[in-house]
Amino acid sequence: MLGFNWNLPAPPQIPAAAQAQLQIQQPTVDVSSPVTASAAFDPPAVRPGEKTFYRVNVDATESSIQWPADLSAPAELKFGAHASGQITQFLGSKFRSLTTFLYEVRPTAAGHFTITNFTVNASGQTVEIPAACLDVVADNSRSPPARQLVLETSATNVFLGQPFRVRVLLPASPANEIEALREIEINGDGLMTDKSAMRQSIEVANVGGQLKPVFACEMTLTPIAAGPLKLSAQGFTAGREFAGPISIRGQVNLPGGPAKYVLLVSEPVEIKVRPLPAEGDSPGFTGAIGKFFRDPLQLATNRLRVGEPVQLKMAFHGEGDLTRFVPPAPPRSRDWQIIADPPPATSFTLIPLTDETHETPVIPFSCFDPAMGKYVDQTIPPLPVTVVGEGLPVQLPAFDDAGKSAAPLKLSGLAPLPGKTVTNLKPLQLRGWFVGVQLLPAAGFFALWQWNRRRRFLEAHPEIVRRRQARRALRREKLKLQKAFEAGDAVAFVQRAADAMKIAVSPHFPAHPQALVGADVLAQMDVAEPNARAGETVRKIFAAADAQFSLRRQTQADLLASKSDVDAVLSKLEEKL
Amino acid sequence: MKFFCLILLVSALPAGGQRGNSEAGNRFETGWACYQAGEFPEAATAFKQSAQVLPAAGTLVNLGLAEWQCGHAGAAILAWEQARWIDPFDARAEANLKFARQVAQVDAPPLKWFETASTWLPPNAWVWLAGGSLWLAVGLMVLPVVFRRRNAGWHQMLAALAFGGFLFCLTANFGVVSRTQIGFVLKKNAPLRLTPTREGEVISTLTAGEPARKLRSQGRYLLIRTSGGAGWIEQSEFQPVSAR
Repeated sequence: MLGFNWNLPAPPQIPAAAQAQLQIQQPTVDVSSPVTASAAFDPPAVRPGEKTFYRVNVDATESSIQWPADLSAPAELKFGAHASGQITQFLGSKFRSLTTFLYEVRPTAAGHFTITNFTVNASGQTVEIPAACLDVVADNSRSPPARQLVLETSATNVFLGQPFRVRVLLPASPANEIEALREIEINGDGLMTDKSAMRQSIEVANVGGQLKPVFACEMTLTPIAAGPLKLSAQGFTAGREFAGPISIRGQVNLPGGPAKYVLLVSEPVEIKVRPLPAEGDSPGFTGAIGKFFRDPLQLATNRLRVGEPVQLKMAFHGEGDLTRFVPPAPPRSRDWQIIADPPPATSFTLIPLTDETHETPVIPFSCFDPAMGKYVDQTIPPLPVTVVGEGLPVQLPAFDDAGKSAAPLKLSGLAPLPGKTVTNLKPLQLRGWFVGVQLLPAAGFFALWQWNRRRRFLEAHPEIVRRRQARRALRREKLKLQKAFEAGDAVAFVQRAADAMKIAVSPHFPAHPQALVGADVLAQMDVAEPNARAGETVRKIFAAADAQFSLRRQTQADLLASKSDVDAVLSKLEEKL
Repeated sequence: MKFFCLILLVSALPAGGQRGNSEAGNRFETGWACYQAGEFPEAATAFKQSAQVLPAAGTLVNLGLAEWQCGHAGAAILAWEQARWIDPFDARAEANLKFARQVAQVDAPPLKWFETASTWLPPNAWVWLAGGSLWLAVGLMVLPVVFRRRNAGWHQMLAALAFGGFLFCLTANFGVVSRTQIGFVLKKNAPLRLTPTREGEVISTLTAGEPARKLRSQGRYLLIRTSGGAGWIEQSEFQPVSAR
């Protein structure tokens, strides 16, 4: 179970006297001494167009000095970028602030130039800034150039919010002495400096094409504005006063004596900051920019009960800046309570609210990969879990009417077999096909009724049956007749032709076909026909048929030639059926 | 060729049914084993899958037991009601329903007289009985005439009885259709809303296993009538007894 321990032990109390002793032993800050100032050009002699620095030191806090916006100077001195900084110097037994105002100056002509003395107000006192002289000569090989810091950036083309590293280098002095840098500042709009991961080292670096021992200070910058940005570094030389741990590589000389605090600046460096693309913005983007990888998820257990918390751990690592890595925000879920564990942990405490869920919630997350220039989906996928609900009682005590204990009510045991089955819980009454099935008996009864009706009708009209039978028999005889004709069997041809004619006229009498003779056939033909060609054909056929039963068979083969006449007769007789 | 295809079709039908039976049987056995091992969620899943393949009274009784052990009173009561829907004579389902309603403090659904009559037999039995009695009556009246047999007295008596049975079955069938609208609340404290929207005002909350009648649906919501009044409930929180 999650819980908070509200009974934390109280921190050890420092006695009041000890507190006073601690305050007394701290060096005091000197604010009562008269404020002094100094001014000088560094270097004091330059060639025309060469850069020099006009440096003014005032031993007061920067906020207490009312520094003029413009300085009165000869027109030949062109003022460029300026910087100011403050450092607290330790003077034996007390602290005293030192503020430096630094101007970049480029003379346009040779000559001797002086910035005259002027006064400023510092801490309510009028402080005179002494005059400073600059010699501008055509040949100035004696004077070394002014010391400057070197600013190196790990990237000059970055996305908005993409952290990048910068290194501020202080090359060794001409005497090859390494000095520390303090109060390092990065100047420039739209930048956020992270000094929490600052690293200091003394190493050999390439400065202006020469390998030199340098004091290097590395820190992280994050652009917070898009567009071209100019940044420069400034810092005070501080002798041996190294702040924090430092790694030293190589052999170096450290200066002795008290530190000499000199404000130095670097040349400005321009970087281009691009805004993050809006398209393709993935859900769960918390500002993580870089190339990140996620280790396999770790779930404490995958079987839990409703209301029981479980921790989901995820570890991210990668090339980006993990110090400002913001883990995914916990989403809202109906089935889970999701609590993000306090940073720097990148884990969540999940509490199932129902046992109907079977997987952990999806936690959307994405980061922006500056190398690819697009968002990368790093969504935390769901993990299968089994959530067990709270059980219900399976037995209840029971009492009879007299209040005495009776056999307890309880659930039954498991059914050993599936038992009675159905194909569907939806009843047949609501299924369309069943209505169709009910129409089948109705159709059967209708067919039966129709059959009975027809049967009664035919019983009342037997001639219809006879004609139908005659037509059926006539079709069969005509087939036989055709076969006899094709076989050239004149005897069979005559017999089939006579039979067919008798069948065709039999319903008209009515009589069995075998009981009829040629005269019956002729009687059913039209009045004009008996003497016409059809009548002749009938007579010829029946004569030939009768002759077959006589002793001398005189069936003539030429009767086959009257096939068309026979067909015509049969067609006419069939029409009457 | 047609005959061959017919043979194949006829032989495939029982094979498909056997496969379904086999699958349902396997899952039934899995559920049984899980229940015996105390793995009730897994048992409920297995029984539910078995019932989806082939709804069976025993499977649904066991599903109800597993759901009850998981704490799902609504789902358990629904499963046992479905078991009784398939087999009204299932004693296990009846006893479990009585027990569950006593524990969950919910009532059985109030039934009208024709709905009560429809519980005497399985729903599908009523429809076959109705069809059989109707066509028996029609046949007894029609067939003697068609086949020119004497219309005996027992023909008419049997036809009258069959027609009477048909009329009774008709009311029972109406009761079956009416009972398909009865369902049960599945989730605990399910909100009953005034309007079918998520932001709808909650009229009351319903107990898991509480019976209600479905009146109509709209989107993801069902309009139901409970003993306490009518309102809208999410479809996932309510299931009619005849739905799978």
